Amino acid sequence: MTTSAATATKSGLPPWATLGIIFGFVGAASILLWGPIGVSGTYPRFIGEILRAVTPTYAAENPYLVKMGSLLRAETFLLLGLVIGGFLGARRDTAKAPKVEHPHPGTETTATRYTEAFLAGFLIVFGARLAGGCTSGLIISGMTQLSMAGFVFAAGVFATGIGTAKLMQAVRLGGR
Amino acid sequence: MTNLFALLTGVAMGFLIQRVRASSPAVILQNLRLENLSIIKFMATTIAVGMITVYTLNLFIPNLLHFDIKPTYLVGVLLGGLIFGVGFGLGGYCPGTCVVGIGEGRRDAWFALFGGIVGALVFTLVYTVAIAPIVALLDFGKLTVQDALGVPAIVPALVIGILFLVVVKVLPTQIKKA
Repeated sequence: MTTSAATATKSGLPPWATLGIIFGFVGAASILLWGPIGVSGTYPRFIGEILRAVTPTYAAENPYLVKMGSLLRAETFLLLGLVIGGFLGARRDTAKAPKVEHPHPGTETTATRYTEAFLAGFLIVFGARLAGGCTSGLIISGMTQLSMAGFVFAAGVFATGIGTAKLMQAVRLGGR
Repeated sequence: MTNLFALLTGVAMGFLIQRVRASSPAVILQNLRLENLSIIKFMATTIAVGMITVYTLNLFIPNLLHFDIKPTYLVGVLLGGLIFGVGFGLGGYCPGTCVVGIGEGRRDAWFALFGGIVGALVFTLVYTVAIAPIVALLDFGKLTVQDALGVPAIVPALVIGILFLVVVKVLPTQIKKA
């Protein structure tokens, strides 16, 4: 696997630096034009639309769904943009993105990877909603605006993120 | 107009995340095992450039920027971060990068998205009983670094921004050869 950091761009800066500088300006433009970027709130707004259709009385009485509001708002369009951006970015690669990646050392089946991704998806969205934002809303936008919550959240994420990554490596390699 | 701006921001963000390989769970796990720091340095650069830019703009055009500071309810924010980190280290996806991954054609990204939707459902169902009490603990409201220190925002923006840029410049990107 080649990482993007291995090669330098024409400007002499490594890709993470060039792309990071551009993303910094995109995030600033976003705050100038409409508001800070944020992704995870769209998940419960989607649940809200379903519950309002299936069980409208419960949905109207759930304070969280009332607080989060309708799916018809800017952040939902941001998510649509992410799908398009990912698609356009991938078209610039010579090789297709792998259908399934196995990010931990050692071997695992595709079924294990899917289970792992599902559980991980559950935890990231549950944790993000408890904290009030995710990597985009709290770490990128939060720290950009110098919100204390962003710094606290980032400290928590990297503490258990690094710990879990190292633990998975130990478990997978130790089992052989 | 706002929706169009948000859509275009999303396209740019998705493209940049894909190009830097942040939508690759393998690359995220290399970063979290501290073998390669490309994504951590990408994020720190983004934040540094962003904070210097918005607070410089705010000096010239005050009250025009759409700031939206999230509340610092200390227990919930930290606990949420710790839970998020376990998921991040297990799966290598964020709520946004899995959506980018779907655009790229990654099948495991769909499972992360489904997991996220179920996570949001469970969160909604237990909100009143389990979440609302946690969110009420040690709530400092919309607290910022400049409020806590009692200084103009441009000061911490420049200090933290330049500090981040120096750290990413000094730190090596490739720690361990893959």
